[in-house]
Amino acid sequence: MKKISLGIYRQDPSADRKGKIVKYHVPVEEGMVVLDAVRHVQENTDPTLAVRWNCKAARCGSCAAEINGVPKLMCKTRIEDIGDDITVEPMRSFTLVKDLVTDISPAWAVARSLPHFHPRQRSVHPFRIEEMDVERSQEFRKCIECMLCMDVCHVKREHNTSYVGPRYIVKAASLDMHPMDSLDRSKFLDREGGIGYCNVTKCCQAICPAHIRITENAIIPEKERAADLFYDPLMMLLKRLRKVKD
Amino acid sequence: MTAAKRRIVPEELSNPSWRVLSFIFLLLAAFVALLLFPVPEFKGYIDPFYSPLILLLPIPAMLRLTCYTFRRGYNRHVFQHPQACEAANRNDDRSRDYTGETTPLMKIENLHRYFVYGSLLILPFFFYDLFVSLTYGGGFILRAGSILMIVETALVTLYLLSCNSIRSLIGGRNDCFSCMHAPRARKGVYDLQSFFNSHHDNLAWLSLIFVVAVDLYIRALMAGWPIDFTLFKIVGI
Repeated sequence: MKKISLGIYRQDPSADRKGKIVKYHVPVEEGMVVLDAVRHVQENTDPTLAVRWNCKAARCGSCAAEINGVPKLMCKTRIEDIGDDITVEPMRSFTLVKDLVTDISPAWAVARSLPHFHPRQRSVHPFRIEEMDVERSQEFRKCIECMLCMDVCHVKREHNTSYVGPRYIVKAASLDMHPMDSLDRSKFLDREGGIGYCNVTKCCQAICPAHIRITENAIIPEKERAADLFYDPLMMLLKRLRKVKD
Repeated sequence: MTAAKRRIVPEELSNPSWRVLSFIFLLLAAFVALLLFPVPEFKGYIDPFYSPLILLLPIPAMLRLTCYTFRRGYNRHVFQHPQACEAANRNDDRSRDYTGETTPLMKIENLHRYFVYGSLLILPFFFYDLFVSLTYGGGFILRAGSILMIVETALVTLYLLSCNSIRSLIGGRNDCFSCMHAPRARKGVYDLQSFFNSHHDNLAWLSLIFVVAVDLYIRALMAGWPIDFTLFKIVGI
């Protein structure tokens, strides 16, 4: 049976000051994904290896990692597509728990800070929404919260700014574009969410396993809405006139 | 407020690398070359850089500098924030100051729409230039240069109309199409524009390449290169 070289990042922060890549030789069969190889190591070579996984169907987002330096889901990355020499590392934007497991809980604090769904006044329950109006926000519902976009984003990864990150721009856009919602979160995103830090390099969109067009359909529209509110004198005047009229 | 936030000019420009200096040098050299060696028109071909007026060039130049596609390009390859998405080639690190589009200078990016509006006013001149080239000498004449100009005009038009600011203007900023007048028509236009918008990156680069190609073609003709063969001609309509 063919064998591949699988390097896995190993570190227990409570015991090791530095991590290291440990090489394993794993027998592979056609159709195997990286998660299969990592579990093979865990089950046959070293049971102390820490790895988080759950559905193995690209639906839960638990097995997010950096495979050959690119943020990917281990369960969705076929070994035959990436060669015989594979390195798996944890997501670098998050604090390491052990080996391939990281603590993504700081992201939940960002989620809580976003203005929540706020239905329009006089809206009738249950909501009746036209199909043409749900299309845009439905795309964002495909998000599996794997946090790969937060991992690849240089604003989060290398610069640690106040930017909420691509995942939460997507969340804000899904609420903003909801026809029954009454808030405009672009104000929050510009003033507190640091959307100005995003320089649209589109890494988040390139690696999204759910194929959400994060930059084009969420970040840029939110930047344009923020421009309407704070940077475009004509739109600012129009909005003010409309308010006076109301 | 952090020190990085108080900057007016981002660190990439106040402490430029050779990449930034090369980029600025190329932009300036191109502008000076256009001013010093003008070719406004040659045998019915009107150079896109001089139509209608070289002094209006800053408008399409700013359109492209503030365009989301080109922002991606220079943020990656000039500023290296980051150069690539994979870990090995990012060339970005914590030691580098980063302000993104939050400094007063870079907030100009938010005025992209005004350069779009300005460029929309210039767009009809591309069609006028094409008309002039196709009717050179009276009648109808299709030359190799005209084919280049047809492709150029089509690409520039699609590039401009597929812009993200226009997408926001015609529907992106609305949350409820069915609440508006003529909802199906508006949603249809929005979807069509979104289709072209999904190819905006390709259109941006191809249109730029063809604008430069038309300019170089006219310069080559002026230099006497025998490349302008006629494909089809109807004399005196």
